[in-house]
Amino acid sequence: MEVLGDLIGGLGVAMRPENFLLLFVGVVLGLVIGILPGLGGTSGVAILLPITVFIAAGNKVGAVELLAGLYWGALFGGVVTSILFNIPGEPWSVALLFDGYPLAKRKGRPGLALTSAFIAALLGSVLAAVLFTFFALPLAEKALEFGPPELLAVYLMAFATLVGLESSSPLKSIMMIGVGLVLASVGFDTLTGAPRLNYGQLWLLSGITFVPVTIGLFGIGEVLAAAEEQGTGQLDRISAKLGLSDFFESLRALRQRIWITLVNALIGFWIGVLPGTGATPASFLSYGIARQYSKNKEEFGKGEISGIMSPQASANAAGVGSLLPMITLGVPGSPTAAVIMAGLFQWGLTPSALLFVEQKDFVWGLIGGIYIGSLLAFVLCVLAAPYLAMIMRIPYAVITPFIIMISIVGSYTLNTSMTDVFITIIFGLIGYWLRKMKYPLAPLVVAIVLGDATEKAMRQSLIASGGSPLIFFFRQDSSTGQYTEFNALASTLMLIAIALFLLPLAQWLLRRRRRRDGSSAPAA
Amino acid sequence: MKRYQIGTAAAIMLIAAAAMYDTRASALPEDVQLSPGGLGAGFYPFWSAALILVAGAAVAIRALRGPEGAPPFEAREHVYDVLKVVVPTLAATVALGWLGFYLVTAIYVAFFMWFVGRYRLWWGAPVGVALAIGFYLAFEQGFRVALPKSFLYTMGVLPF
Repeated sequence: MEVLGDLIGGLGVAMRPENFLLLFVGVVLGLVIGILPGLGGTSGVAILLPITVFIAAGNKVGAVELLAGLYWGALFGGVVTSILFNIPGEPWSVALLFDGYPLAKRKGRPGLALTSAFIAALLGSVLAAVLFTFFALPLAEKALEFGPPELLAVYLMAFATLVGLESSSPLKSIMMIGVGLVLASVGFDTLTGAPRLNYGQLWLLSGITFVPVTIGLFGIGEVLAAAEEQGTGQLDRISAKLGLSDFFESLRALRQRIWITLVNALIGFWIGVLPGTGATPASFLSYGIARQYSKNKEEFGKGEISGIMSPQASANAAGVGSLLPMITLGVPGSPTAAVIMAGLFQWGLTPSALLFVEQKDFVWGLIGGIYIGSLLAFVLCVLAAPYLAMIMRIPYAVITPFIIMISIVGSYTLNTSMTDVFITIIFGLIGYWLRKMKYPLAPLVVAIVLGDATEKAMRQSLIASGGSPLIFFFRQDSSTGQYTEFNALASTLMLIAIALFLLPLAQWLLRRRRRRDGSSAPAA
Repeated sequence: MKRYQIGTAAAIMLIAAAAMYDTRASALPEDVQLSPGGLGAGFYPFWSAALILVAGAAVAIRALRGPEGAPPFEAREHVYDVLKVVVPTLAATVALGWLGFYLVTAIYVAFFMWFVGRYRLWWGAPVGVALAIGFYLAFEQGFRVALPKSFLYTMGVLPF
């Protein structure tokens, strides 16, 4: 049990007053950055990087505690605007829009929605931290077996679980997925550099990214829907209680959903460990899985707590997971992890398995910081939740212009581009109309996010195999150069993905047949 | 409702058709010698758009055969309620390039509270100014994020 000793040592290092103070500052800054739209964990870490060089000169653990604290803080803080205003504070909190905002607004329970997300976030972080503590090296090596074909299978699984999203109209879901895929490919082809779908317009060359689109579709779209409801007097009463009653209610809710949340935290952790993925796809995949295997499927999209807990647990677990291959192999699992790695290099550390031997204090201090930082962020968030929930009681005419200005900042700061602001406003109008026409918006957003990555994984595989689709199931035989060696990992994943695609189709056929039997029975 | 459903599906299909037209040159798998991996830049968007076209046609046909349903707006006033938010927002967005983020925030918030919420201007104006100052302190001073500045900034009159 050498690991336990190391962990206790690491917790001790993280609890040293100077390190704890830096961790605390990092967490608070991260929470603020997470709440402010447009400022993400990645940019927050990047802004602090120069400062950490001075800290690292005397105390490398302190420097990494500051950055890691900011990262945890942002993972928690991104929740807030998603749930309260339908505007994602961070890309990985987009999946919270689907059920978090409905629970806060339609069902009038913002406090419950917030605390549920925070509890799930803590669960995800701690589970991931435990896995990090005990299996860092073997997991990181396993992750490297994931090449483009395996990644493609994972992305296809995400799509498969989402096709049936809001099953009221699968055809409209499919249309929205198509629109998302087309929007994702506007600009340049990332593999060949060929321009596409820009119709000679310069502003389209930079592509349509999902943040301004999402802020428009959900944030602005919701504002417009509320403008109409204002006239019909349909606005619900918001309950915002001070005290911890929401906290205990979300604990009870978690107990009923503990398994699906844990499984999704595990999935999120693993996706985070995979190179180049991160918390955003993890949260979407987990949302889809939670929905697929939930008993109250119809409640999804209307404020089901599983739709909050699963993606959030997954996002936080992925956030922790993405640090693992960075520390052990120097392969960052997410953009934020990549920036933290840049910090490591600046402080004169080379990420590798050797760090566990040579810089024991640093590595275990960081791991200890994951536990303490998550707990810190959790406590701060739960204490603040009732006050945050009160924001929703601000009158419509005061909060609406505030939400619109926040939306504008969020889309502008991403690339400091006015084009993105116009995209946000236009998609706000589109989102409002599509909602009226009963088109589901979630598949559109998911397809924009995953579309690029899926295309890249598919084409990179094909480039590697020289155009042979056999690469999705077989490995290259080293002697002949043919794709004949069975690739168990890729094949299994791919078959699961295909099965997931066929599942809704089979269910639909079954239902149809049963209905036909049912309707013909009385006639006979 | 029926014609709005069909119109919406048709509009989305039109966008899809435009995308297919633009990417038609590299829509089919090609020789590996010509493009890496045998797939060109157009393959993926072309077939995604084709998916929209097929699903869109089905949606339109189902809407055509289906019941009429409720109209999208219950009353004409609701259209005005929405326009009351849309028009000032569009104006504010266009004004950003000229008045900058902070002046627009102050004016827009004050105007919105007065115009939509029927608050008196002496309530709306302080709220707008306070929000603008709050944003300025948070973004410009706190996190060093530059937001669009006004023409008065370029003239050197104001710090934002």
